[in-house]
Amino acid sequence: MKRLRLFFLAPSAVILFALFLIPLLIVAMYSVLSRGAYGGVTPPFTAENYVRIFDPLYLKILWRSFWVAGLSTLICLILGFPLALFISRAGARRGLCLQLVMLPFWTSFLIRTYAWMFLLRDTGLINTALLATGLLRDPLPLLYNDFAVILGLVYGFLPFMVLPLYTNLEKLDPALLEAAADLGARPLTALARVTLPLCRPGILAGSILVFIPCLGAYLTPDLMGGGKSIMIGTLVQNQFTTARDWPFGAALSLFLMALTLGLLYLASKRSSGEDLL
Amino acid sequence: MNRRTLFFAGLTGLAGCSRSLQPRLNVYNWSNYIGPQTVAQFERQTGIHIRYGIFESSDELLAKALTGNCGWDVVFPTNHHVTPLREYNLLAPLDHSQLPNLRNLAPGFQSPEWDPQLTHSVPYMSTSAGIVYNRRQLGQLTRWADLWEPKVKGRMTMLDAQDDVLGACLVKLGHHWNATDETQLRAAQREAIRQKPLLRAYLNAEVRDQVVAGDVLAAQMWTTTMLPVMTQAPQLDFIYPAEGFVRYAESAVILRESPRAEAAHRFIDFLLQPEVAVACVIAEKTGPVLAGVRELLPPELRDHPLLFPAPQDMARGVWLRTMPPTAQRLRDRLWTEIKSA
Amino acid sequence: MRLLSLYAVCAYAFLHLPLLVLTVFSFNQSRFTQWEGFSLRWYTQALADSALREATVNSLLIGGAATLLATALGTLCAYGLWKKKAPRLTGMLYLSLMTPEIVTGVALLAFYQWLFHFLNLHLGMMTVILAHVSFCLAYVVIVVMARLRTMDATLEEAALDLGANEFEAFYLVTLPQLLPAIVSAALLAFTISFDDFVITSMVAGVDSETLPMVMYATARRGVSPVLNAVSTIIVVGLGLLILVSERLQTKT
Repeated sequence: MKRLRLFFLAPSAVILFALFLIPLLIVAMYSVLSRGAYGGVTPPFTAENYVRIFDPLYLKILWRSFWVAGLSTLICLILGFPLALFISRAGARRGLCLQLVMLPFWTSFLIRTYAWMFLLRDTGLINTALLATGLLRDPLPLLYNDFAVILGLVYGFLPFMVLPLYTNLEKLDPALLEAAADLGARPLTALARVTLPLCRPGILAGSILVFIPCLGAYLTPDLMGGGKSIMIGTLVQNQFTTARDWPFGAALSLFLMALTLGLLYLASKRSSGEDLL
Repeated sequence: MNRRTLFFAGLTGLAGCSRSLQPRLNVYNWSNYIGPQTVAQFERQTGIHIRYGIFESSDELLAKALTGNCGWDVVFPTNHHVTPLREYNLLAPLDHSQLPNLRNLAPGFQSPEWDPQLTHSVPYMSTSAGIVYNRRQLGQLTRWADLWEPKVKGRMTMLDAQDDVLGACLVKLGHHWNATDETQLRAAQREAIRQKPLLRAYLNAEVRDQVVAGDVLAAQMWTTTMLPVMTQAPQLDFIYPAEGFVRYAESAVILRESPRAEAAHRFIDFLLQPEVAVACVIAEKTGPVLAGVRELLPPELRDHPLLFPAPQDMARGVWLRTMPPTAQRLRDRLWTEIKSA
Repeated sequence: MRLLSLYAVCAYAFLHLPLLVLTVFSFNQSRFTQWEGFSLRWYTQALADSALREATVNSLLIGGAATLLATALGTLCAYGLWKKKAPRLTGMLYLSLMTPEIVTGVALLAFYQWLFHFLNLHLGMMTVILAHVSFCLAYVVIVVMARLRTMDATLEEAALDLGANEFEAFYLVTLPQLLPAIVSAALLAFTISFDDFVITSMVAGVDSETLPMVMYATARRGVSPVLNAVSTIIVVGLGLLILVSERLQTKT
């Protein structure tokens, strides 16, 4: 049995070790080195990069990222739960319904983002329609602000919320809901007091799968936000490209990962013990 | 452990790596800054196959080149990136005996300030950035300061590039575009933050459609982005602001890691011919660096006021300079502060 | 349920609206956003563009190879973890999910540099494929694991009691039940791989430009309807793939 287990686990372990762990260690090493004159890394070793993270400027950026990611996750949950519920009750067509959720994601996400920008612009479809109906006199500023960023993030990560929720819902015993109905509960009550609590693992899994990428997102906030504000993902990205301050970028990344690890740990403490993996 | 070892100077180690046997040159250039037939012409003439890759920002190029074995042979950084590439020993020295067409360079480009002896780079084209605006709706604009006026509120964009925004703020305050003094830079940063409430967004070339459509009334924009559409958009005007503006010179360099130095030299030499360079100017409205190109242009481009500004206008332009490391770090930080304000 | 259906329709509309817009405007005669008549010019241009073609082929190859590898390895891994916990491996899987893409990209680039210091290799298709496998793995494991958790473990025990060895038990009993989950995981992995931009752009070599990279470069200069045309072709193509796979699944 041991040998078999080795066969099953070893390839993945090797891949992760070589292509994930070791590269990460290299980044960790970068984070304690100094920045070269025009980029790259160079000795001496220093902890300065980590100290720099606690500068109010960067803490402010971090805080804003958490806030945006959190709000996006919440909205994803609110929008995604009913959809997952619908799919789980779609009977024979549930596979198709699920695929329809994924379908838009096979266009490049960049193109989808640009399509949204096209829709949201002052002369975009939405504003043109609103102006044509006479409801507005001036176009609504739908793009290049926080609203657009959150819309972009929600749109981009909704399937990551729907899939785990659906998996959870699908596993639920319909007999439980029948029992609740027999005991006199109205559908909405049954939903709130039976279904939702049983969905906690799915909610948790979905929230994690949405929150973490949102936190580190950079293309969507940058494009939809018009570059006017900066999230931690953009900041890290900048360090590795324009600013060429690799050590600081590495330190920021590791710090971000440590934070999310901490959050995950807290979340796993509060959950009933069932993890993603 | 010195810098070089950390720099994966497996540059030399890769010299022996195997590649396709057909002679091939990997050229990494800005997306459209080459004549439409140039690559095909070169291939026909020399039999050397070119793999032409494109990038959209010199920073991207620098980041890739810094890693040491990106695989490209001839690349086209902007002039202010030539110094870092050279300092990091990433450039192959140019053999002028293989570049007879160097004599075609216009006087102003024979000894550029970033590489006076042309030891490692050859200027390829020049561009700049100014203000494009909707003259019908805004009237005449002449200065950077006009972009701080209430009348452009919500309809104005600046480039999403720290050098361009900080530079514009610096010259608006009367300082030098390439200033390194901390007080001046901080003042410029305050100006940028002051402008933010009026700003629609920090956008690069993608804003062009919005300018043409009239969503955006004024934008800081590169010449090569706007010039090709100016004829179809008579409501637009492009100016080189009165306080000063910046000029870039995209230059051809050969990466030290390249095992095909000879083919690379041939390609660069090929580009240094006026007949070849003129195709790029016509197609992309880039500024030529060779003498004799202007005469080959069709009449409407030969005297184009934006391609060939009057000397007194051109005098207000300065070349973008490489920042010393401390100034670069300060500018990076100030840009982050502007973005998060 | 009717309310739910109404909501679902709205939700699907929200999800598909950009797609619809893209498709409609891919038939637009004009480059700009005013509709100027029906035209197929962007499609002809897209199909004629050799860089775009090559990038699409690259993306499909990379996606296919990475999906195969990631799904196979991930399924095995999930099964192994289901049988008995392996905290360190699980930890690494979690970490790989949590790492921001840019960090993964830079880390892999740095790793490849060190590796190529000793081997005479270059960035290319292989480096991209391996990178994709490494970040798709965790997603596959999650999806398959979710299915495993709901499975009846006693079935395998029964098979063992009936004389099958452990490998046969896995292959003949568990694997068939896992098939839907494996297909879902594969689709997820393919989607993630096909759409990836950040990591790919960092580790791609001279010959391995992918579709997102080309699209990003083109879109930086202003969106061209050629990209719309390409997107539509991809969606239709992959949509057909889903339909076919659904048909095959319901047949078995």
